[in-house]
Amino acid sequence: MHIVVCIKQIIDPEIPPHVFQIDPVEKKQIRGRQVLVISLFDEVALEVAVQMKEKAGSTVTALTIGESEAVEALHNALALGADEAILISDPAFENLDSFGTARILEAALRKVGEFDAVLCGRQAGDVEMGLVGPFLSEKMGLPCVTLAANMAPADGTMRLRRPIEGGYEVLETSTPFLATIMNDDSNVPRYVSVRGLRKAMRTEVPVWSAADLGIDPAAVGPEAAQIKLEELFVPEREIRCEFIEGDTGAEKGKQLALRLRELKLI
Amino acid sequence: MTDILALCTVTDEAASGDELPRALLEVLAAGRQLADQLGDSKLRAVLLGPDVEGHAEALIHHGADEVLVLSHPRLEYHEADVMLGTMEAIVKQSSPDVILSPHDDLGGGNVAPRLAYRLGTGIVTDCTGFVVESDAIRWLRPVYGGKAMAYMVASGPVQMATVRSRAFEPLPSDPARQGQVQTLEIDVDSISAPVSLVEKTQEEEEGISLDQAQIIVCGGRGMEDTEGFSVLDDLAETLGAGVAGSRPAADMGWVPHSRLVGQTGKIVAPNLYIAVAISGAPQHMAGAGASKTIVAINKDEDAPIFKLAHVGIVDEWQNIIPSFNKACKELLSS
Repeated sequence: MHIVVCIKQIIDPEIPPHVFQIDPVEKKQIRGRQVLVISLFDEVALEVAVQMKEKAGSTVTALTIGESEAVEALHNALALGADEAILISDPAFENLDSFGTARILEAALRKVGEFDAVLCGRQAGDVEMGLVGPFLSEKMGLPCVTLAANMAPADGTMRLRRPIEGGYEVLETSTPFLATIMNDDSNVPRYVSVRGLRKAMRTEVPVWSAADLGIDPAAVGPEAAQIKLEELFVPEREIRCEFIEGDTGAEKGKQLALRLRELKLI
Repeated sequence: MTDILALCTVTDEAASGDELPRALLEVLAAGRQLADQLGDSKLRAVLLGPDVEGHAEALIHHGADEVLVLSHPRLEYHEADVMLGTMEAIVKQSSPDVILSPHDDLGGGNVAPRLAYRLGTGIVTDCTGFVVESDAIRWLRPVYGGKAMAYMVASGPVQMATVRSRAFEPLPSDPARQGQVQTLEIDVDSISAPVSLVEKTQEEEEGISLDQAQIIVCGGRGMEDTEGFSVLDDLAETLGAGVAGSRPAADMGWVPHSRLVGQTGKIVAPNLYIAVAISGAPQHMAGAGASKTIVAINKDEDAPIFKLAHVGIVDEWQNIIPSFNKACKELLSS
């Protein structure tokens, strides 16, 4: 079984709000000194693929669209257990919308050739639109399972487990298929060892350009975009915290209860 | 005349009670607001489910001008492929100008994006608001885990958006509102479903559901272990509150992932949100920031949560929760 995982490299989202900065003209986050990471749900999708590899002997390919530094995300993917990694990179691939991204990924998947499953994170950790996976499934005519947490082969089909309120669903599909992956107890991503990462960094990562994929840059660039970010801003918050004081914790706890009663909250 | 369609699905379980799902009322509230701002508009609710005729009138009372009803046994389990095929057929019949859907697992995660692709139209997901301008609707939505907001526009033959949970307040029911109810004729049996549902397990969860809770008590990494959480369980029992956890708490297994609040979990907006030993990372506040009143208890006075909380205590939670619980018990029993 061959599983292809589409990943995105983003600026580490787990930073405190005071170091978060945007460029309102470029309408993007300013990277500053922040590290780049694999978007969380994509890392979870990699974990699901690697678990399948361990159970069923699958091959895992990681794909990303990005600039040259995105190769670091692919090295991480290899260290997590991916067998192959491909960087899709072209100066024309700037400010893509989800239609453009799906189109490029489709061309890359056709070039990859045979595969049984395509996994995407449920949404990217930066713009969080959650569109690329469903769009890609439609573009390629693949069965689409969304928000799955893990999967297991069953008699020539695939069964995916999807957490729902108070329980779960099991969905069945033929292969090949596309699934978007969400986090649950079963797929907390493993840590990458320094040794694993060193080894991964020696792996050759092929780079595919627009020409390699037979894509007309004009068809995917900002001109063609149907979904546009027009304005980006950091909302002002004007909350002043009222601190409950007291000599002891017990006193403060009691005062809190009285204050909340006063505010008619309890 | 601008024709707005709002996707309203009702499950069997929900249909058995009188209460309509909150997500459905929220999408109607958003649709009503949009229709009123656009002017010369009609809000039509698409009501789908196994047996849903009985709810049509209620949708009119909650803001719809018209209701298009379709009951079919295949719509019972909300299989995405069946819903998608049904919506595609409905859109072909009624050619709307705007389609709104709740940003839930089914609509926002699957059906709405795929429908947009099939219609060749742009879509903006997870919206919390919008601005109507002469040439476009600018959709407002959080990005970067709620650290920033963006206005986005989508182009194509139809305007499509999904509405974030808790962003729109349901309209109170107005029994004086009148509107047409129309039954749809769609060949649901012939819709192909490449993905099939083979098993569904859903248990009544212990404790109060986070969607219904007026008060939520949420613990973070600083709770240290499951025993820490049992102290929160006691407090929640006193207050009639739901118990939730931050991502570290869920990853440690102190609370189930279904009770995780944040960007990677649930979005909640109770009247009172009590955050215990939570630093207030943006990814957590993305799920809790819409709460009416936030109380924070944290030993670190520089924790970001105090910039977002209305009432705060700087101390170890162990020093606070027992006396707070006791005082609440006394107040609530008197």
